Amino acid sequence: MNRSGAWTITIVFGVIILIPSLLGFAMKFGELITLTKNVSDSGGFAITPVVNYLLASLGFFCLLMWAALNGMFRDLEQPKYNMLENERELDRNV
Amino acid sequence: MFESKSGIFYIAGIGFFVLAFVSNALVPWLMYNDIPEKTVAELINPNLRYQFEDLARRYPEAFEAAYGKPPGGDAEHDVWWNEKCGDALRVGHKIYVGEGCWHCHSQFIRPVSNEEQRWGPVSRSAEYQNELQRPVLFGTRRVGPDLCREGGRRSNDWHAVHFFKPDSLSQESPMPEYPWFFDGSADKPNAKGLAIMTYVQWLGSWQESYPYYEAYVQSALPKPESVEADAEAAEGEEDAAEEGMAEDAEPAVETPAGDAAPADDMPASDTPAAEAAPAAETPAAEGAAPAEATPTEAPK
Amino acid sequence: MATLTIPKTQSVYTHEELVDEKIIKWYFAAALTFLTTSMLAGLLVSLQLIRHNPFAGIELFSPGRWRMVHTNAVAYGFLANGFLGCLHWAIPRLTLQPVLDRRLSWFIFAAWQAVVGATAAGILLGEAQGLEWGETPVWVDPVAQLGLMLVALNFGTPIARMKGPMYVTLWYFMAAFIWTPLTYAMGNFIPEYFVSGTSAGAVGGLFIHDLVGLFVTPLGWGLMYYFVPILIKKPIWSHGLSLVGFWGLAFFYPLQGIHHFLYTPIPMFLQYGAVVSTIAVELVVTTVIINFFGSIWGNWSIVRTNLPVRYFYTGMVFYFLTCLQCSFQVTLTFQKIIHFSDWVVGHAHMVMFGVFSMWIMGMMIYLFPRLLKREWASQSLLEWHFWLSTVGLAVMAGDLILLGLFQGWSWAALEPWDASTEFSVPFWAIRAIAGLAMFGGLIALITNIFKTLKAASANA
Repeated sequence: MNRSGAWTITIVFGVIILIPSLLGFAMKFGELITLTKNVSDSGGFAITPVVNYLLASLGFFCLLMWAALNGMFRDLEQPKYNMLENERELDRNV
Repeated sequence: MFESKSGIFYIAGIGFFVLAFVSNALVPWLMYNDIPEKTVAELINPNLRYQFEDLARRYPEAFEAAYGKPPGGDAEHDVWWNEKCGDALRVGHKIYVGEGCWHCHSQFIRPVSNEEQRWGPVSRSAEYQNELQRPVLFGTRRVGPDLCREGGRRSNDWHAVHFFKPDSLSQESPMPEYPWFFDGSADKPNAKGLAIMTYVQWLGSWQESYPYYEAYVQSALPKPESVEADAEAAEGEEDAAEEGMAEDAEPAVETPAGDAAPADDMPASDTPAAEAAPAAETPAAEGAAPAEATPTEAPK
Repeated sequence: MATLTIPKTQSVYTHEELVDEKIIKWYFAAALTFLTTSMLAGLLVSLQLIRHNPFAGIELFSPGRWRMVHTNAVAYGFLANGFLGCLHWAIPRLTLQPVLDRRLSWFIFAAWQAVVGATAAGILLGEAQGLEWGETPVWVDPVAQLGLMLVALNFGTPIARMKGPMYVTLWYFMAAFIWTPLTYAMGNFIPEYFVSGTSAGAVGGLFIHDLVGLFVTPLGWGLMYYFVPILIKKPIWSHGLSLVGFWGLAFFYPLQGIHHFLYTPIPMFLQYGAVVSTIAVELVVTTVIINFFGSIWGNWSIVRTNLPVRYFYTGMVFYFLTCLQCSFQVTLTFQKIIHFSDWVVGHAHMVMFGVFSMWIMGMMIYLFPRLLKREWASQSLLEWHFWLSTVGLAVMAGDLILLGLFQGWSWAALEPWDASTEFSVPFWAIRAIAGLAMFGGLIALITNIFKTLKAASANA
């Protein structure tokens, strides 16, 4: 298959999947917002899990940024070559 | 940090595990901490005691062999029965777990899928806060029916026959036979048989709506015992009339007798299929008639 | 921490010094023995469901007890033994360090077989513990716990001694060695001795989930990241993406325990949390799948010619399907219908057999010739094993998933209970036949091993 054909397929699938998912997400998100606004008691209840996950993810994200800025991901791909190299070394006599 | 061994060890290995444990296990643990955990002795209730004593009446020899004879004095008498009943519950629970009953029978009613109508009131947290739910027996598969409202629905001898040879009562039932709960025949349960029957009769015996039948509506006839009971019944009927369920006609006439002989009991609760079908076919007006009559009759 | 030029590591040990080949053979033998036991147990239960149990009424053949033997023998007898065997190959070769102590390896081997044997005996004598996937009798639990900690020590040492940046496989292994003992301790001790009721249910859900997610999954994927590049002779498409998969699994997977008990009295906001993170992990799974399919892209003919690779990729397809199914079934809408039904059973078989068993079989098929220094005696028997297992599993899973929907709808429609067991019988019969096919595949494999052994000894 040529390159433009592959792109067409990717875009078509992207649209097919993205449009309903985005619609669904927008709807549910709208529901969440109305729920938080309208019902005084259960509003806090509704956003508790969301806030929970956002907070937990935020901490993780900060760590990730810190690690990236420290240059920890500079040579990410080397181990996969080393691994194959080791295998060859070990199997040289077989 | 992320690329290093200590990062994987502390963040991924311990950190995330603890995070999950705190959020998914510790939170419910703390939330339900104030519900006291009941011991087996605290679980014994009159409904269960009735069934347990019924076992002694039906299978006197087997019962005596397993638990001995009750002492004479009234006070001692009561203590003795409760103690033995507790023993039976404990052993019955061990058998229920050991035989893997809980892999084919769940013990919880969900608030969806019409389960409330089929099995009874939705399960509440407090019901599980006891010694016999260590570990909890929610179950994950229902090959057979849910059992957490099973107590009192069927008589002890129905259970005896059913444990001995399930398909003699529930046709086409895939449930295995348990002849090792008996000494040779269905009318001779041994200690194991008595214990597992006590356990099954205990399930749901703490409920107000005990015993619970599928789509059961209390009798329209006023109960003779007390005026209070009448008032309660009237309230129950009003709810039922609103729902206008037609297929209750048959069990509504029968009082829920826990000790009914299997012959009487069986069609009502074992094969609701056959019984409910014709009732459901009758016109709604006809089926609803007795229920509608109730509110006018009850105040008398 | 960050080094720009990574020195190439040179092994000071030879393969023979690193790998104890004998123990791998023994682990594989034990694994196949328990798999045979487990499949026979499954067969017995499936016969009970279609009411043709040949041993009806015999206490020691009680289907309820054998049902627990079935699951425990797979988890602790087959998967654990199979993984341990593969780890004895992969870890020393990856780290270029031998395990802590070979005598310890053998002690663990013996102890673990004793644990699994005692579990089976305990369950058959009616001593099971009321915890799903943890039915190990309470008196076996501490020994199993100790065994898992020794495994972590024995394999953790070479990883700790290793220098330089670690390959993704070792990330998975290292995490698994921490998670597995923790998970086991949490599930087997807390609901039994510390909490009861609903909160114990939450812990139990976390245990079931973590056992699959933090013991089986990381070991399985770790081994895939090791064996696939070696067999297709190409490095993994992106090492960076594989680390995304690792961290995604580590973060999201443990948060999902409660999704096993939706609509229970467990607080609803926790149930929602579990649902959300389950759907999130599906995205993580997709990155892993993309990585593996990117590695083999343009080189698909190897799936036809190289049998282990075919096992691995078949398992991955099933893995993707399982996770896709999971992200649907975890929603409350699906749960209403499919909870308590055979859908769940179909799902479990697809994960445990379709994915992890297929992978272990694939690794065995790669390793046996190397361990026995001899080609497989029969290629056609291998093909038989592959096709019987794959087709059998696909039929079984499809059949049960469909049946689960029918059951769920029947229950929700308040049809009489007996109706649901009645219309299930033909489906259960198909399941039994599919199971027989899978068992036939296993027989083909075992026969092949014996033939190869014979040829090997005749050759020597």
